[in-house]
Amino acid sequence: MATNPRIILFAILGVFLLLLPLLLSNDYFMRVATVILLYVLLASSLNVINGYSGQFNIGHAAFYCIGAYTAAILSTRYGFSFWVLLPLSGLVSALFSCLLGIPTLRLRGIYFAMTTLGFSEIIRLSVLNWTSLTRGPMGIPGIPFPNLFGMELRSNAHFYYVILGIVALMLLVTQRVLNSRIGRAWIAIREDQAAARAMGVEAFKYKLINLMLGAFWAGVAGCFYAFFASYISADSFTLDEGFSILAMVLVGGQGTLLGPVIGATFLTLLSEFFRGIAQYRLVIFGIAILLTVYLRPQGIAGSSMLFRRYRETEESGIEVEIEEVELDATHT
Amino acid sequence: MFFLQQLLNGIAQGSIYALMAIGYSIILGVVGLVSFVHGEVIMIGAFAGFYVLTFLYSNVLVALLAGFVATWALGMFIEKICYKPFRNAAREVALIATIGLSITLRSSAQIVFGTQQKFMPDMFGNRFFAVGDIRIAYTQVFVMLVVVALCIALRQLFFRTRFGIALRAVAMDKKAAALLGVNVNRTILFGNALACSLGGISGVLLGMYYNAVHPLMGATMAMKAFTSTVFGGLTSTTGAAIGGLLLGIFENLGVAFLSSGYRDIIAFLILIVVLLIKPSGLLGRKGVEL
Repeated sequence: MATNPRIILFAILGVFLLLLPLLLSNDYFMRVATVILLYVLLASSLNVINGYSGQFNIGHAAFYCIGAYTAAILSTRYGFSFWVLLPLSGLVSALFSCLLGIPTLRLRGIYFAMTTLGFSEIIRLSVLNWTSLTRGPMGIPGIPFPNLFGMELRSNAHFYYVILGIVALMLLVTQRVLNSRIGRAWIAIREDQAAARAMGVEAFKYKLINLMLGAFWAGVAGCFYAFFASYISADSFTLDEGFSILAMVLVGGQGTLLGPVIGATFLTLLSEFFRGIAQYRLVIFGIAILLTVYLRPQGIAGSSMLFRRYRETEESGIEVEIEEVELDATHT
Repeated sequence: MFFLQQLLNGIAQGSIYALMAIGYSIILGVVGLVSFVHGEVIMIGAFAGFYVLTFLYSNVLVALLAGFVATWALGMFIEKICYKPFRNAAREVALIATIGLSITLRSSAQIVFGTQQKFMPDMFGNRFFAVGDIRIAYTQVFVMLVVVALCIALRQLFFRTRFGIALRAVAMDKKAAALLGVNVNRTILFGNALACSLGGISGVLLGMYYNAVHPLMGATMAMKAFTSTVFGGLTSTTGAAIGGLLLGIFENLGVAFLSSGYRDIIAFLILIVVLLIKPSGLLGRKGVEL
């Protein structure tokens, strides 16, 4: 019966989110709410990679970019519909994640982190230089509004419902996957890859599935963004964008479903509050990360399992205090 | 002929990368952590050099010194903020702290210095001398001289001074070094500052080489320093220097055959290839784990 209060809480939250457009008549607030949900989707998809299998991806903007450009190119040139493009952009993004993952996932954490950084830059530079496909620095304007049963989706409230549906679906799918064999394997790999392999977990296979799933949802987010903004250019997918998403995951907390949701909401609202000084947005994000590391290294709602080693060394005091055994070098 | 010219450009540029990579490998060895903030250190060094050159009308050596001093201080600051408090914590914590600091520094730099590219005054007036058909710019000669001089100085520091020996001891085993009377905290503090100031000098050299400095130059440069370090074998400073040189050469040869818009892609491709074929790098020992 312990789950009952939680179910009630989620039901209340769900009803509240569904009725939000009725409560907020202001179009600007609806836009903020939509952007928050977009970042919730992005942060949650990054959390699938960083939080659950312990692969440190810092170039998540690349997958977001691939999804957005897939959607923009296919819809403006070939007239694909929004609803077809949502999964399709995700799939293309997941395909590209294989290109990155197959050579690099065999490596340990930090190498992977650096290669994702490079990958993100490659995608951005390719988008900028491949003018015949992506129109280069001019970007792609005029992405049409999507249709639903003959109704054109164009107001912020319409987009809000679409992204709300996607986020709900994403969280549900992720939750189901995490409780399956695959999710258990990810967590085992994150905690101790050698031990997981000894237990017969095929680490590489599961890490690739993990990366592809994360990239898939980032691609979906990119597709949504392309239709929501109706104009995209390479400027929207710089390393900074990847770092913003990373900041949301780190501040909210890795390794739980709730963490990135809280982080994305908190940081997006924070940067909206300081809208007048928009150029300070990333400064705020950076300081937020630093403060989080000092006050609560696992993030606001993070999984403390990630930092178990931290607690162990603190509690048992196995680590030799370096100060205690310090001797003056000149006396020897 | 064309090939030789590209080779020369590659060596000049590669020697700057080598300097960045040596700094990076010192951090890896002494602190024992990958630093995500090194790119921003390079950028701050470049800006320190830029402002000294433009506003104080001084010569290049003063600019190099300014880059050195500014990033030495920054290095000590980084150690206090990102490494010292988390020495006994899980490795991820300090890593995340360097990411946070890197975002803060870069976006602050964009506010303070502006988002536009700034043009560094050319101290050598674009002059060059020709050997056969190959043009050797004075800037290139100067860059190479500075790097070679610094490498010799570093070698003396590592093997002839007490501080250098302490640095190597700490890089090998912190606990054993502490038991033998090395002041580990101070060594890490100054070792990191030294590594950062090498990054700062290479930032000034980069600014002179391209005649331009930019607040966002850090990320790509960090990527190149990391690639060179991996290429050479992580904690080996000699390896890092060789890796940097090779990266510079490959880049220039690559750009000669591709569009220059793809210059920054080459470092990434080399990184992947090295990691696939020989993850321990050229001069790396096995078992270095990060």
